[in-house]
Amino acid sequence: MTILTLSEYILLAALAIYALASVRIATRKTIGMGLVGLAGLSIAVATILILVNNLYQIAYCKDIALALVLLGPVGTIAFARVLRGDN
Amino acid sequence: MDDIFTIIKAILLLASAVLVLLAALGILRFKDDLERVLYARIHILGVADGACILALLVLGEPLLAGAYFILVPFASHAIANGFYYGEDKQ
Repeated sequence: MTILTLSEYILLAALAIYALASVRIATRKTIGMGLVGLAGLSIAVATILILVNNLYQIAYCKDIALALVLLGPVGTIAFARVLRGDN
Repeated sequence: MDDIFTIIKAILLLASAVLVLLAALGILRFKDDLERVLYARIHILGVADGACILALLVLGEPLLAGAYFILVPFASHAIANGFYYGEDKQ
């Protein structure tokens, strides 16, 4: 196992912990907290998928990560517009 | 023996892992009864976003990292703006 593979596994573990923390934040009662948690979760999962692609050569993970990176912020912006309301 | 670029890549990935762990600790550490804690959590989200952009660059995905680097300030601003005019005013 090279040092690069080892550091990729360490980053994978750190991102898994961060994803769990984001889920915990997303389950708070206000909508704003849900948006913050899901924005964090989407980039964490996208980076995990890119790492999985690098480690295990599963090519379609890259496509899912691209969709998550592009659509995650777009969904966050759309939901935040709803949260803002008419005023 | 690994070459110098592999060692630099490993160091950058470890640095982003440390930043992500610190962000996970920080986002849970604030109490919910603090006033306007959402702004603090958006700030911590920026740390994790920067670490993930760094990791994506090191992993050889510069277009993905660039797209996220452009999109994420709009998302963070939209959350703060929605909270200010939506939930915070109520």
